[in-house]
This record gives sequence, C-alpha cells and structure tokens, in this order.
Amino acid sequence: MSDQLFAFKRENGSWGLRNHVLILPLHSAFASSARAIADASDGAVAISHDWSGEIDSDLARILFTLTGFAANPNNFAVIFLTVGSAEEKSIIDGAHALGLTRSAVLSLPEIGSLEKMQAEALIRANEFLVEASAQKRVEAPWSAIVLGLECGGSDALSGITANPALGVASDRLVELGAISVLGETTEILGAEHLLAARAVDPEVGTRIVAMVARYEASINYEGIDIRGAQPSRGNIEGGLSTLEEKSLGAAKKAGNAPLTGVLEFGEKPSTPGLYFMDTPGHDIEQLAGFGAGHINIVVFTSGRGTPTGSAIMPTIKVSTNTPMYTAIPDLIDLDAGTIADGIETLAQVGDRIFTEIMEVANGRQTKAERGGHHEFALSRMYKTVIK
Amino acid sequence: MSTAVKGFAHGNRGAGIRNHQLILPSVICSTHVARRIATEVGAVTFAHQHGCGIIGDDVAGIDNFFIQLADHPNVNSVLVIALGCETIQGQELAAKLRKSNDSTQYRIIQESGGVEGTVAAGVKAAHELTSAFPPATVEIPSLRIGIDVGRAVQGLAALEKLLTDAGHVVVTSDSPFSSAESFSRLAQEKAQIIISFPSQTQPTSGFPLIPVINVASDGALHQAIRADFDINETDLAEKILTLIYEVASGSQTVAEKNNSGEIRAPRVVRSV
Repeated sequence: MSDQLFAFKRENGSWGLRNHVLILPLHSAFASSARAIADASDGAVAISHDWSGEIDSDLARILFTLTGFAANPNNFAVIFLTVGSAEEKSIIDGAHALGLTRSAVLSLPEIGSLEKMQAEALIRANEFLVEASAQKRVEAPWSAIVLGLECGGSDALSGITANPALGVASDRLVELGAISVLGETTEILGAEHLLAARAVDPEVGTRIVAMVARYEASINYEGIDIRGAQPSRGNIEGGLSTLEEKSLGAAKKAGNAPLTGVLEFGEKPSTPGLYFMDTPGHDIEQLAGFGAGHINIVVFTSGRGTPTGSAIMPTIKVSTNTPMYTAIPDLIDLDAGTIADGIETLAQVGDRIFTEIMEVANGRQTKAERGGHHEFALSRMYKTVIK
Repeated sequence: MSTAVKGFAHGNRGAGIRNHQLILPSVICSTHVARRIATEVGAVTFAHQHGCGIIGDDVAGIDNFFIQLADHPNVNSVLVIALGCETIQGQELAAKLRKSNDSTQYRIIQESGGVEGTVAAGVKAAHELTSAFPPATVEIPSLRIGIDVGRAVQGLAALEKLLTDAGHVVVTSDSPFSSAESFSRLAQEKAQIIISFPSQTQPTSGFPLIPVINVASDGALHQAIRADFDINETDLAEKILTLIYEVASGSQTVAEKNNSGEIRAPRVVRSV
C-alpha cells in the first residue's frame, strides 16, 4: 500500500509524518539537561546547540532557525528550556505564530535550578508523550510530504547511482503533488545554470543564479577560493576530481521536474513543486535548515557512509555503492550500488526509494531513528571569535 | 604558603586534578557514537558541530583546538572517534597527539563496521587505554587556576593576589558574552581548574575537562538560581581557597554534578 499516506494533521492544516515531543534548549547551558530529559523520558527527542544568547551578526539567522525548527509539523509538542531573555521569548512566540500549538516553557530562574528544571521537564514530557500517543494518523494528501534531498560524503558513483535514482523518486512525488526541496548551495555551484533552465519562470531562474553567486562571494570575501577547497578530501578519495563534477552529480537528486521556487535558509515552501534552498554543504547545518523550513522527511545519499540523523525528521540513507552498504550495514537503509553492478536499473532503484519514502512517511523507523542519531548544528555566516 | 594537592601525572600533558579519559569526536557526525562509548566506559566527551565543512584558517584552527583539548593536563588518555571522510582526519589528528603522548588511540566509523561495530571497537580500545595507563598520583604544589571574567568583579585583584600568595598561577580570560569561548581559551592555557564569574544575565556553565567553580553575583538571575552556583561572590575572600582544595582533591562542582559542559571552537570563516 505504498501509494496511501497517513499522517498527523496539525491545527493549521500542515501535516506531520512524526508526532515528536521535542526538548528544545534555548541556551547552550541547557544542552546536557535536554539530552538527559529526553533519555529519561524514553520517547521524547532533544537537540543541543552552542548558542548562548549572543547578540551578534548571526542573531537573526539563529532565531529564525530555532523558531522554524520548533514549529516543524513533525513536532506534536515542544518543551522550551529558557533563561527568560527577550530573544528566547521571540523564538517561542514565533513558533506558535508558525503553527505550534502545544508547548511548555520552563524558565530556569522561576524554577530555581537545573536539577529541578530537569525533573519538571520530565513530568511535562511524559504528559505530552501520553497525549501524543492518543493522536491517530489520518489519510493525508500528497502535499503532506515535504521531502528534503541531501547528499554527503559523495564519491564517483553518486552522480550515476543514488542521486539520479533519488531524482526518479523526487520527480514522481512532485508529479503527484508533493513538495521536494534540494539544498546545499556548495553542491550546485557550477550546475546552477541547469537548474535555472528548468525554472517555472525567468524570475526563479535569475534568483537561483544570484543565490549561488552570493554564496560564492560570501566565501571569497575571506580570500578563499571555494573551488580549491571543494571537493573535500573524502570526496577526492571517493574518486571525484572537481567541484563542478561533484555539483553535476549532486543536482541529479532533484530529477528533471520544473523548478517551482527558491528558498532562503530555513524558509518554508508553500505550494507543491520542486524547490531549491540556500544551505551550506555541512550535512548537519543543512539538516537544521531543512527542519526550520518544515521539511518532514529527508533522503540522504552517501558514497562514504554517515550515521547522521535528525531529532525530528526521519532521514533515509541511500548508499551509492554496494561495498559501502555491506561494510557499514547499520547506517544505510537502501543500496543504490546495484545500478553500477547492472543488477537493477535506475527506474527500479528509484521505485524502491519511492516505496521507502512512503513506508517511512507512514511511520516505519529509519536506521538513524532507530540508532538515536539526533545531530543538530546552527549555521552561522560570520566569525565567532571576537578580536 | 601552599598546600600540595594530590593529583595525577599525565605524561607530557602535565599533572591534572582529574583523571579523565577523553573520547574525542573529530567531527559532529561521530559525536553520538563518541557519547555511547563514553557512557559505557565512564569517560568524558562533548558534542560539537565542527570538523567538516570548514575552509581557510578554520581547518588549522579547529585541528589545533582539538589538539589543545586532548593535550590538557586533566586528561589521562584519548580515544579519537572519526567518521572517515571529514576534513579533520581522525588518524592524522591521532598521529599528531601520539607525538607527545602514547596514550592515544583512534577508531573510524567507516572502517569499523558502522555504528555498532565502532561502539564495540571503541569500548575495547578505551578499556585497553585505561589498563595501559592506570592513574599515577603526583603532588601538585602549585595549581594553574583560570579565571573567567564575564562581569565587573570588584574583588578581582584581591582574589588574584590571594591565589598567587598561596603559590598558585593565575590566568584570566574575559568573556564578553558567554563563558564558552573563555573556557576554551583557559583550556588552551592549561588551567586545571576554573573560577567563573558569568555575566549577570547568564546562567552557570561547565567545561567537560575542567572543574568550573561558578561564582554568583548578587543579581536577580544568579540569586534565583543560587543552587546552580558553588559560592557567592561576597564569600570569596573567606571560602575560595578551601573550596579550590576540595575541588582539586576530587569533590565535584555543581556543574560537574549536572554534567554541564558544552564547547564551542572559535571560528573565523563561515561553514561551506
């Protein structure tokens, strides 16, 4: 029954593919507490980050990321751990404005100590978990799927196996009325003209070219040529020679569908279709941007293999080659290396990825979810050292 | 006059007041595996978001940051947990660390059978390191005490004099906002213990390798969460030396009990 979707309907009309209770520390000092609460609750999830309330050039980006992440429709409820600052309040209010309906705000100064805050958060988490367990999935439209396309640890097979196979699945979902979002500006550098040519109107095409140019300029201002720093050492060992080669392969994750729109980091897509989001290639920062943009499921292709997952978005890992799939079986959900070995066609693997997306969307756990991989990282545009 | 503290001899890292085994993830992707190993063997580790997607001066900067943490005097042995394809390569990091201390091992997720394989291999390696490098006690006549200055502290000069008169070495670091980067600088300065004066608007914080004594101001936030602090600023002159000796001799600070200790490496370029 891979063509029927059942999901959690949110009050504002959006859809969750998971029903998480998220423990969200709004200050880095609460990171260990958040983890401890999630572990003790046996069901809640937590993230940690390294923002301590700094008011610097990255503030708006950080607030935007945490607000969007809290409001992701995969969250049934969020428990905010706060010091009580105005910036933290803007995150909580912003998340509610974006559609979050259930939250508990635990203020450290009101409670009196970290230890007591942990104890109280655990009680609230358990209450929300019980409430969440009573909510049932209901039949959902295709537009309930907001798919994120990601690759990491690419190798020479990425562009001919896993990425184009994911493109087949993405095209099919977009045609059915779902939303699919390609990210990682680093990884389309040199291939942006191909995406621009597929834009639904010239304005979208102009925007994606401008977005890539802006990205390259933001690196070059430091006097660094990104084309010399990418592909990474891991990519080169995997058989890639240039950034352009990596990009041509990476863009194949987005198939051949028309490009509906371009999104800023963490921005939410509105109508069905294929989008591009301006995110860094850093896998985890990119996942945080996807989460903030209300993406509710991710497919992650990899040539080298990675344990990465998200606290709130199920992340399906696809290997580009069979030896890696065999060597690290507990990291990878699905192998696309069969294409290179002539065992399966691109269409067949694309079909398997589509089925996997549907099964996971309907509630089956991914390996990263099973393993408890809840990595999170804030994306910053500016330096953090104060000179 | 100085009272010698019984500490631990940690090879070329120096003498420490804690006998920590550090499970060091060389990239964010391996932080969860590192935590599982650390939990199983009772070692310390920390989450961070670094190790990949870095360019320019940050490559050497982050590499050096990890080296400084691993070479800290409170560390007995180090197990580097790498993913395999990251910018900071785990085996190279381990090779640099081994130049000064044999008590270093590494395991790579992509070469150790995945998550479960690496947890098993890492736990084994951590136990081997513990057996090969048992705690060796040593007298520390003079402590290296870091002071994190996040607010105006009236008795700061008097405190420094009190500590230096007692035979200790004092290193200070200003934290303009939060203590995270100040703690990193003090770790690089090899402070064995830290006295932190967080800003009146900041809660307490800890550092994974170094006991942090948090000193409360008389501000509203700090007094509301007095239980998270070890001492009031007004009690410093009378009680700080005793508290330092207790902590240096193994008594846990509140931050240690709370297991708080996030780290942030200084960055000079955006990630890519």
